Amino acid sequence: MSSTLLDPPVAPSHQEIRQKNRTPYLPWLMLSATMILLGVLTGYPVVRLVVMSFQEYERAQLMGLPAEWVGFDNYATILTDVDGFWTVLLRSFVLMVVLVVITMVIGMLVALLMMRVGKALRLLVSVGLLLAWAMPSLAATTVWGWIFDTQYGVVNNLLTAITGDRWFGYSWLLNPLSFFTILTCIVVWGAVPFVAFTLYAGLTQVPEEVMEAAQLDGASAFQRFRLIQVPYVRSIITVLVVLSMIWDLKLFTQVFVLQDIGGDRELTNTIGVYIYQMGMAQGHYGLASAIGVVFVAVMLAIAYPYVRRTLREDEQ
Amino acid sequence: MNKNRLVGAAASAITLTLALSACGNAGGAAAPEETGPGEVRVWLVGTDTPPEARDYLKKTFEEANPGSTLTIEEQAWDGLVDKYTTALAGSDAPDVVEIGNTQAAAFTSAGYFREITADEFENLGGADLLPGFVEAGDWEGKHYALPYYSGSRVVFYSEQVLGDTPVPTTLDEYVETAVDLKTDDLSGVYWPGQDWYNALPFIWENGGYVAEQAEDGTWDAGFSSEGGLAGLEQIQTIMTKGNNAPSDAQETDLQVPFCEGKVAFLSAPSWIQWSINAPEKPEDPDGVPGCASTYGSDLQGLALPGKDGGAAQVFAGGSNIAIAQKSARPDLAMSAYEILLSDEYQSILAGIGLFPAKTSLFEKVDQSTSIGKAAAEAAANAKLTPASPKWADVESQSLLQTAFSRIAAGDDVKTVAEKLDADIEAILNS
Amino acid sequence: MIKIRKRLADTGYGVIAVIVFALSAFPVYWMVSTSFLPNNRIRGENLAFFPTPDVFTLDNYRSAMFGQVRAPFPPAVANSVGVTFLTLVITLVVGFVAALALTRFQFKGRRTFIVLILVVQMIPGEAMIISMFRIIDGWQLLNTIIGLTIVYAAGVLPFTVWTLRGFVNGVPKELEEAAMIDGCSRVGAFWRVTFPLLAPGLVATGVFAFIQAWNEFVMALVIMQRPDSMTLPLWLRTFVQATQATNWGAVMAASVLIAIPAVIFFLIVQGRMTGGLVSGAVKG
Repeated sequence: MSSTLLDPPVAPSHQEIRQKNRTPYLPWLMLSATMILLGVLTGYPVVRLVVMSFQEYERAQLMGLPAEWVGFDNYATILTDVDGFWTVLLRSFVLMVVLVVITMVIGMLVALLMMRVGKALRLLVSVGLLLAWAMPSLAATTVWGWIFDTQYGVVNNLLTAITGDRWFGYSWLLNPLSFFTILTCIVVWGAVPFVAFTLYAGLTQVPEEVMEAAQLDGASAFQRFRLIQVPYVRSIITVLVVLSMIWDLKLFTQVFVLQDIGGDRELTNTIGVYIYQMGMAQGHYGLASAIGVVFVAVMLAIAYPYVRRTLREDEQ
Repeated sequence: MNKNRLVGAAASAITLTLALSACGNAGGAAAPEETGPGEVRVWLVGTDTPPEARDYLKKTFEEANPGSTLTIEEQAWDGLVDKYTTALAGSDAPDVVEIGNTQAAAFTSAGYFREITADEFENLGGADLLPGFVEAGDWEGKHYALPYYSGSRVVFYSEQVLGDTPVPTTLDEYVETAVDLKTDDLSGVYWPGQDWYNALPFIWENGGYVAEQAEDGTWDAGFSSEGGLAGLEQIQTIMTKGNNAPSDAQETDLQVPFCEGKVAFLSAPSWIQWSINAPEKPEDPDGVPGCASTYGSDLQGLALPGKDGGAAQVFAGGSNIAIAQKSARPDLAMSAYEILLSDEYQSILAGIGLFPAKTSLFEKVDQSTSIGKAAAEAAANAKLTPASPKWADVESQSLLQTAFSRIAAGDDVKTVAEKLDADIEAILNS
Repeated sequence: MIKIRKRLADTGYGVIAVIVFALSAFPVYWMVSTSFLPNNRIRGENLAFFPTPDVFTLDNYRSAMFGQVRAPFPPAVANSVGVTFLTLVITLVVGFVAALALTRFQFKGRRTFIVLILVVQMIPGEAMIISMFRIIDGWQLLNTIIGLTIVYAAGVLPFTVWTLRGFVNGVPKELEEAAMIDGCSRVGAFWRVTFPLLAPGLVATGVFAFIQAWNEFVMALVIMQRPDSMTLPLWLRTFVQATQATNWGAVMAASVLIAIPAVIFFLIVQGRMTGGLVSGAVKG
């Protein structure tokens, strides 16, 4: 394999082969399974989503009562709901930015640490990261809930032992600020391993000679990081940031479960949970659909430059 | 990529999906009526229904319908409305479901339950059925969900813990006693912050209200009314000065702290006496241990005292039961339904201290003990939450749970009350 | 002097590495430790930090696996394994074929398709629960592994196609063409040359399908409503709801049970996937 990689063959016949295989239906045939699956289970729900966002759609409609068209009423309700929708949307974005930044910074630091330490310690760190990464989010949130449990949690226990004050009964989740602090711990804890592993794998591909040469030229560790390592893994960072943004905006399980344990729903809702509350819990499917549509529109506006760039790259 | 392309992309997606959208069956076509043996699924919620009653239901049903089977699937109160919303709308819906009395309206108003005709209603008990609960299951003059049982809360205490302290006779004394008794190891009243059912009596006794409907149909919530605030102050006093329960906990497995001897007064549904009086070593690996030989041995009951003595107005807890509209076998479902409302079955419920669905069976509740007597006094003075189909949304949003958690955490009562009222009004008037 | 400084720095990094390990592993450790302790040693002043032999107990596992009242454990395992396996296979096969079509062919509508695949990932799944439910209900697939698998596959597929496209792009087309010159058929060239190079990419993508299918619980909540059709996350949630106030030991045992297969899966694929992610990302 490697010899083929190193010696690209002279290619006089490229055009020929391409021409021969230009069967127009073959690519569509290969895409058909994807199209059927997505068409039915994403396309159709999306159409329903848009349709429902213009209807009064509640529990009764779910049972078969014909839905009434209400024009843009649902949108008007959502878009004028400053305390509800806009606050939740803003909160979700702020949370997303905080989570992505913390995850990326810690992930990078851990990756650099893994570059720096010896084999044994690297293995130790990898094992820790792997455990955190493999923990299913539902189980992880449950465990964190137990650690911060109001009555018997180990955190309150240790605080009592250390400070001498009585921390038993202190509720960490009721206060939105500490709720989000714990939420950040859970999400970052679960997300850092993926980022750290990937960045580490990228950093190992930076040629050692380059780093050594820079060191001989008197470049400090930070300069080497900034001028050599970062540019080398820039595309990896981009992909990781984009993925983290998507995942952190769609955060659901952790928020939902923590709220269940004892958070103030109204002050801690993020967009996914808000849509669930509006739809599944309260039965306002029309409103929930309108929120979904507005949210996608906002996302599209934000992601537009990225989409354009990806397509441009694809063209080359 | 220019704009036209993007529009084109979206357009072709829509065409594609419209072409495929015929696949989703949106119509609620009823299944053809079947006869003969079949399967009936009954959804009971929580552990309130005792095992004897479950066994009786299954056995009696399967004897009456040879070849058919009845399965009881236990559901959790947590997230119940969310689950029923889809489960009862699907083709694989359960046949008979229990629903909290305050949640019933969300479903009766939306056609989730099969109508109980006037004939069937008479046959199942008619005027003998608990009026308040029948009303909770009615919609536009028709019956959809009938009473299953009611069980108002009773204040439990053990004389071993209480010692010489006199039993309070007014609500004010109750608050004072709770504060006096509280130590780091003992809750005067054990009250997890999310338990809003126990908070309502304080509102009502002080002249407040949950929500009232004006003549023009709009709802006005009353936690921030004068009486409401007075009640909330008392609640906060108990929660912060007379209680060690976590401010954000739910009222599950209340017998556990009680059995540790860390509770003087515990206001809980009457059936919890059996959990307290369970053996220390449960046979079921899953079972929660009780304390029959210690604090259970001298367990006493007391109706929550009112502002001016007597029994306070308390929340009428309980359940309704209904047949799912989408039940595949309404005939068999009705057969199970008849058993659930039969005198025999309801007597089993009465036997464990729940108030049966029929007033004529109230005498089956043992009132010779202080607990039974307290339960009867409380039931006689019980009140319901506002009769609005949207009330279930207030509950599923956990508005009350959150508000009382905040009060338990020591937040300003007036601020919490005003916010709570605004949130409740927003939902009820939406 | 320099040597001493280097030694000091090494020690410093070593300490940090140990701290990183401790922080990542502590919740897992605490879960495992609690799961082997009796209830009176996991709360209050009497807290045990390690299940020493004198307090070690398997009661929590007994309660989680064989408890009578809750949703049964064995069918939940079977359902989760079934759904996860099928989701993995379907998304990888279907997604891979689609990724090939999108990278190895030039055709009209290709870019439109790529944009759609990207846009679809922005839709919040919670907004589509009801429509998904009605489709699966319409097909009479409620409470079936197939029904849930279809939903998961559709949910993961856009990401799979998108990621795999990056990986396939990373393998130069010229390689295949060279093999074809050497006498292989197009398919033969692909299987012998391209596919082995893509294995890490498939593993990396598969991990995400696994995470989704193993962890998801909202769609499962809606589609799997019978006690014996629950998946593990649903089972865990029922268990937590019923016991968290009193029996944290059993809740932790249940959490361990659901985490073990995930840890094993990650251990197996770990080595392959990081390499795959990098090659995919560089070209992605």
